[in-house]
Formats: sequence, structure tokens, C-alpha cells
Amino acid sequence: MADFAYFLGCIMNNRYPGIEKSSRVMFEKFGITLNDMEGASCCPAPGVFGSFDKTSWLSIAARNITIAEDMGMDIMTECNGCFGTLFETNHELHGDEEAKTKVNEILAEVGREYKGDIKVRHFAEILYNDIGLDKIAEAVTKPLDNLNVAVHYGCHFLRPTADVQIDNAEKPTILDEIVETTGAKSIDYRDKMQCCGAGGGVRSRDIDVALDFTRDKLTNMTAAGADVIVNVCPFCHLQFDVGQTEIKKKLGDEFQIPVFHLAQFLGLAMGYSPEDLTVDAHQICVDPALEKCSLEELEKLDEITGGE
Amino acid sequence: MKNLRRLKNFLTGQEAEEDKKEEISEDIQTPEIVEETSDRTEETIETSPAVEENAELEPVKEEEPETEELEPEITVEEEIIEEDVPEEKEEPKKEVEVVEEAEKPKTKGSVNMSLLNREENLVSPEDVDNTFKQDIMDAGADTVALCYQCGTCTGSCPSGKRTPYRIRSIIRKSLMGLRNEVLTDDTIWECVTCYACQERCPRGVAIVDVVKIIRNMQSHAGRMAQAHKMTGSFVLKTGHGVPINDATMALRKRVGLNELPPTTHEYPEALEEVRSILKKTGFDTLIGYNWETGEIE
Repeated sequence: MADFAYFLGCIMNNRYPGIEKSSRVMFEKFGITLNDMEGASCCPAPGVFGSFDKTSWLSIAARNITIAEDMGMDIMTECNGCFGTLFETNHELHGDEEAKTKVNEILAEVGREYKGDIKVRHFAEILYNDIGLDKIAEAVTKPLDNLNVAVHYGCHFLRPTADVQIDNAEKPTILDEIVETTGAKSIDYRDKMQCCGAGGGVRSRDIDVALDFTRDKLTNMTAAGADVIVNVCPFCHLQFDVGQTEIKKKLGDEFQIPVFHLAQFLGLAMGYSPEDLTVDAHQICVDPALEKCSLEELEKLDEITGGE
Repeated sequence: MKNLRRLKNFLTGQEAEEDKKEEISEDIQTPEIVEETSDRTEETIETSPAVEENAELEPVKEEEPETEELEPEITVEEEIIEEDVPEEKEEPKKEVEVVEEAEKPKTKGSVNMSLLNREENLVSPEDVDNTFKQDIMDAGADTVALCYQCGTCTGSCPSGKRTPYRIRSIIRKSLMGLRNEVLTDDTIWECVTCYACQERCPRGVAIVDVVKIIRNMQSHAGRMAQAHKMTGSFVLKTGHGVPINDATMALRKRVGLNELPPTTHEYPEALEEVRSILKKTGFDTLIGYNWETGEIE
């Protein structure tokens, strides 16, 4: 199987390194090497750069793409925001000679040229299409049978459908299918496809509005009996993880639903330690989820409670 | 025969009945609103435009510290929107009703819907800039011209559910050429760019592109939030919108990753490339970045 240029971005590597660690180990196991994109930067952040100045947004994104072009590999990213920026830039520069010329004039300043000969791909889509559900299921050593999972797709993994073409964005199944290879159950909940609230620069500009989105999602997940949230975007991840503490502080509502990036969730099912996945550093304690899915822990609980 | 009768009912009786119902309900509602608006007309005229604008944005924000009040207010808004989505002229009315329940100060919306303030609410030729629509199209969203104002976008919008952001209205104003009004409307920044509107638009309008184009225009006119400029400044400083910190460096080390990721954090010459590009595009000047102090001016 082809190797990838591994685009890190910001929030994963600079806040939740367990996502990166788990992905590197997991892909090695699947026989795929994730190669570092040396000197890559922020994608750049679509909410700010895309909103402030399109040319700057395209140019920084195009520079990141040229690093992978030099490596001769397609890009893999596991952040919806980075995927949105890099995919859309690639898509736009591919189809628009004028924009490409303009961006290349800017890149010439640093001796680079965007050619447009690689693809930008999302981690979850590679898992599904290149590795396949069977191979993932085979790699599961610690089934997560008891868990009800609220899958959060986020926005820029599947949309805009017209360009991205991964799955039906109104009623997708790709993530639910991957999650269920672990033995866990992916549950339906109201407004499953709704945004977490962080995107478009809303989190940094208007935290109360962002948290109102998040609370909506958490309320609906809770009503459906979710034990954990599984996402495919470190920014959504942060919004759910940190957001739950912010909601508690600002609004008094307490949810306490553990949050996992898909890479961490699969890592757990493949037997990696919670410490390696850095889930112990999350704001929202993941122990209830670990206990529910781990026989050992259940036995320990039995000792304490005498089996009650 | 049954089918025929059903068809007949459908074409005449039932429909006529429903129409009547609708008319009645409208009749009931209208006087209420006229009363409402005329009551408050004086007070609203007195407020300056700037204050009005704030008032429009405030409801959600203002409530924030008072936990208990936020919940009911939002629920009310949700219900109303769900019921009334397809009806064109409901938009301002919604706000009136919400405001009534929560006993809020008058919003701009309720003034707009009134014909009593004709002078204030008439669009006159000097408000119209015929090049505005073309500017948006030239910036890459030529589909904007296809909009037929069905409202599917606002009906699908999770942000419009909880803020005064009304994307259908912004598209309409853009097509009308109300440049000044659109480019001073802060609600455009409440869009989370989730594409819910664009996915469902029956006319294939690239709505999120329109939003970003309008935001680009506002930014170039100096309308940028400080928090956003800060994110921009972090990229100029470190190459990352969210740079590394000590806690994460320790975590990285613990799991056997390099303390610094192999990005601009590890490669200073790569950071220089990022800086050169952003100087060339003028991004540093746009956000008022001071290269000597590393701060926003």
C-alpha cells in the first residue's frame, strides 16, 4: 500500500499528541508508513485566513501541498479543518489556471511551485477505503463491546459533497461502520450531522454561541444514551473536551461524556495503553468509558463493591 | 370515485380551508404586531444606529451570565423557527415574538418590518450599489445570482437557530446591491461554515463562498475581531495558529514523540518561508502585525 505524507496541523500535535502517536503506530501495523512533512505549518486555519484574505489562505495551503509534492506522496490529515483547507485549495488550484498562476507568483518568492499532482486525503477515508473494515476488525484485540458511541462527523470531512465525494453528507455511514469494527455500537441521535460550534472562527470570536451548539449536541447525545463521543477532527475534539468544562463553568450543565478521536478509539481497541493515547490528559475524564469496556476494570470494581 | 372525490377535495375544499385558516391566523397576528411596533416606535427612533446594531446582536450574549434565562429563550426561538420555516415574511415577526416573551429591548428587526417608519426603511437609490453583486461574482461566487429566495438556507442554518444571523437575508441584500448594509453586518461572523445551507440549496448557490467573500471584504475594510487577529499573529510568530506549549511538549516526550513536531516549530527556515509569503500577500499589514514587537497594533 502506498505511503503518505503525514500532515500534522496544529491542535493534534500541539495539544492532543496521543492522536498522532496512535495513528503512527496503527498505520505501521497496517503496513503504511506515515512520512513527516518537514517544515509544514498551520494549514492555515480556515476560519481566520479563509475569512480574512483568500489569497493568503490559498498560498500558505499551497506551500504545504508543495512539501508533499516534493515527497511524491498524497497527503493524509486527520483534522477536518486541515482537510477542508488543503482539499479545497488543491481542488481550486487544480481547476483554476488564473488562481494557480497568482499563487505560484507568490510561492516563487520562497522558491516553490504548486504543480497539482498529489491528492489530499482524510485519515478516516483511508482507513475505510485503503485498509478496509476487515483488516481493522482483525487488528482489534480488546473489543469495546459494551460502549454506546455517539459519532460526530463534523463539517469539513464530507462537505461540500459536490467536491469531496466521500459519503452522503446528510446520512453518512462511513464512521459508524469503522467504529462498529471494535464491537462498540454507534447510536443515532438528534441532529447528528450538526456542527460542534467551533468552526468558521466562531469559537474564538463568540464562545457563547459556539458552546450553545456544543450543549445542543451533548444534550442530544446524552438523551440517546451515549457513553463516549468519537470524532475525526482535533478541533471538534477540543470543542467537546474543553467545551464541556466551559459549559459547566458558564452554564452549570454537567455532561461528562468522554471524548475520543477515532485514532485514539481504535488504538484502545487495538490494545494501546490509555497513557500512550494521552486520554489521561483530557479535560473530561475517560475512566468511566475505560471501565465500561474493560473486563479487568470491571473485576476490580467487583472487588470494591462486592459484585453489587 | 373515491380518488376523484379526494382529488376534488384536494383541489378545492381542503386547500381552500387551509388557505382560510392561514388567512385567519395571519389576521390575528397582524394587529398584534402593528400595535407592538407602534408602541415602541418612538423609543426606537431615539436610539442611534450604533446602539440598534448592538441591540440586535446582544440577546444571546447578554443572557450569558444568567444561566436560567438563556435556556427558555433559545427554546422559544427554536420552536418558532421550526414551525415557520417556509414562510417568507415570518423572519422579522419571529424576533418580535421572542422579544415579547423575554421582555427585551426592541430589536432592529421589528422596526424593519413596520411600514410605519417608511422613511427609515425604504431603500433609496443612493443605498444601491449595482456593482456589489458583480464584485461578489467576480470574487468567485457567480452562483449567487441564481438565488430565488426560497429560504432553505436559513431554515437549515444551525447558527441562525441561536443568533440573529440570517443568510437568506444577507444574500438578498447582496443581490439588491446594499453594499454598505452587508459590509457592516456583524452577524456574518456567526456562520460556522458547516455547509448545511449550501448542501441543501436547490439552486446550487455556493453560499459558504459568498460568506467568505463578504468576510474578506469586511476584513479589508478593517472589520476584524481581535481574537481572530491574534490567531493570525500566532501563525506569523510560530507558523501555527495553535502553537505548542510546555504541557504538550512533556506529553509528546512521554509517549515517545519528539518534543517538537517536525513542523515550523522544528525548522526555523520553514517559518521564514511562511513569513515571506504572508508579507508578500500583505497579511501582516492587514492584521496590523508589528514585526518588532510581535504584537497586533
